[in-house]
Amino acid sequence: MVKISRYILVLTAVVGLSVVLPQFYRMAFEKPGRNPLIQYSCIDHDFIILRPDADDKWTNREGTKLTREAYEKKLPLMHTRQLVMDGTMPDSINGEKINIQHAGIFRSNFRITPDEIHAPKPKLYPLFESQSGRANLEMPNDFFRITWRMEFIDAQTNRILEDKSRMFSAVLYNRGFKFPATSINGIPTTRKSCDEGYLVIDSANQLFHIKMVKGEPFVRQVELPNGMKFKTIQCVDFSDKLYYAYLFTENNELYVLTPYDYMLEKFEVDDINPDKYEIRIYGDYFNFNVITIGNGFIRTQVVDRDHNKVDEYAETRPTYDTRPEGKIAQLLFPAELKMTDDNSSYVNFFLKMSKSYWWLILSLVLIIAQYFIIRQRKKNIRTEIIDLMLIGLTGIFGFIAVNIFPNKFID
Amino acid sequence: MWKSIIYKEWLKIRWFAIIYAALGILVVGNIFLKGQHDFEFSQEAYYWYSILFNQYRFYEYSLFKFVPLIGALAIALAQYFPETVNKRIKLTFHLPVNENKALMVMMLFGAFCLFAIAAAQLLLFTGLSLVYFPAEIVQSALISIAPWFLCGFVVYFLTALIVMEPVWKYRFLYLLVTATFVPLYLQTAAARAYSPALPLLGVFTVLLSVALLFSGYRFRKGEM
Repeated sequence: MVKISRYILVLTAVVGLSVVLPQFYRMAFEKPGRNPLIQYSCIDHDFIILRPDADDKWTNREGTKLTREAYEKKLPLMHTRQLVMDGTMPDSINGEKINIQHAGIFRSNFRITPDEIHAPKPKLYPLFESQSGRANLEMPNDFFRITWRMEFIDAQTNRILEDKSRMFSAVLYNRGFKFPATSINGIPTTRKSCDEGYLVIDSANQLFHIKMVKGEPFVRQVELPNGMKFKTIQCVDFSDKLYYAYLFTENNELYVLTPYDYMLEKFEVDDINPDKYEIRIYGDYFNFNVITIGNGFIRTQVVDRDHNKVDEYAETRPTYDTRPEGKIAQLLFPAELKMTDDNSSYVNFFLKMSKSYWWLILSLVLIIAQYFIIRQRKKNIRTEIIDLMLIGLTGIFGFIAVNIFPNKFID
Repeated sequence: MWKSIIYKEWLKIRWFAIIYAALGILVVGNIFLKGQHDFEFSQEAYYWYSILFNQYRFYEYSLFKFVPLIGALAIALAQYFPETVNKRIKLTFHLPVNENKALMVMMLFGAFCLFAIAAAQLLLFTGLSLVYFPAEIVQSALISIAPWFLCGFVVYFLTALIVMEPVWKYRFLYLLVTATFVPLYLQTAAARAYSPALPLLGVFTVLLSVALLFSGYRFRKGEM
């Protein structure tokens, strides 16, 4: 039993050290790397790049250096205010006369990161009144859940509002909704221009639009192509009011849902995987820049307002694992254990194994060192075999752990 | 014999256990006193909204996060430090009972006291939560505070290990290991974010319950 207690303590030390040592190493030696901003110029019909860390901050695709002013002129719909201030805003672009206010309506910014996808979701939502007749949205006093039915709970009394719950549940049931909901997606804030309720996936993988209009339920099923499943649905509130939401499918496609006619329109882009990559979508009067940022790469795909692909550009950059400090880490540590991860908002044991086997060299050196320690302590090598194996498997973590908890008396 | 050992343990820790239990209940009471005040002064719906969408963690009020840790530390020190003064633990080892079993009974009694106090706090917390909040918010809060209570047990087991260790050098090294391991239970996280880690954290907590046997063994073998 004492032997077992020792190995449990050694395991505890290995776990603790595999969190702390690589973390200290990163804090001491890791170099930052900022992503470039790659945008499509509607003037040049080519990509323009801003690299915050580089000496030549502003360049085109070929690497030709640009001044800041030249860079901004090539992206007039992004830097409109500055160009107007400088008096250099063009009257027309691509032969089209540009009305600044009108073009501004089509500007949109969207961003989603994997840690927003892999995050605990609230299970209760407020259902706003979509047509209250008031200029501003008002927070309702109740929140809803969709389990075996749609239930509204009054925050003041912490009790279920039976009449409202029955009314909404009945309408959902009659429209073919299969309880419970598996995903509820909306913009649960009063700080938006108007309310469009929620896009809800039911247990039969059907998509419904649910909102409240003058106190009554509004439920509309959205026709989905056979077998279409979504990784996430992100509702948007853009000033052009052309879309309800960006929809990211399981096979890494991107769709938008249009209002009123509930059409799903596909963006002609590929590998849009919000599970793994940060996705940014910048829309303007002419195009959408769909940017995917992963570990060591950035890719911009451009589609026009009809969602057809115009062009694309990708760059890779060194990651921690390929930079010198990362390679030394691979020699020192067999693995890195983290309780948090850049791609998740959960706390978990995120184990990242070393990309190479260089750490085995250090393990071998530490096994030899441990052998001499054992000899010095005049211990029988056969009783220490498990310790040596532990060092072989866990490298520096195991070496420190078995020496913090010595088996001086345990044979 | 066992009853006497348990009674001896109770005599050592009783005041610390009572103060910890009282402190825990006061802190839980204070959390909901604040909650009731906030309910009165801001709309209930906005209070719920802050919890659901603005990451307001009402259960972190009054440093509740550290209460199980401090309570466990106090009980472990009260229980094991007197045993190291003049090596009184040797009297227990001289009793006609299995030495490991005696240590385990000591440790189990301390852990049981911690469990009883934690259960009282959690029952009170759950009961009061259910008055103000729906099941979803209560469940999220309980998942979020669960690692803090597991942390209490881990701190208790590792403090026992450190206090009973006869060599100062190793006490310091065990303290370093504790400093690397305990923060795993105390990460700042959104409500329910700890849910995937809880099973493994629970396993580690249970495994560490035998930690005392190691330093107890070294003590018995006369390591200086």
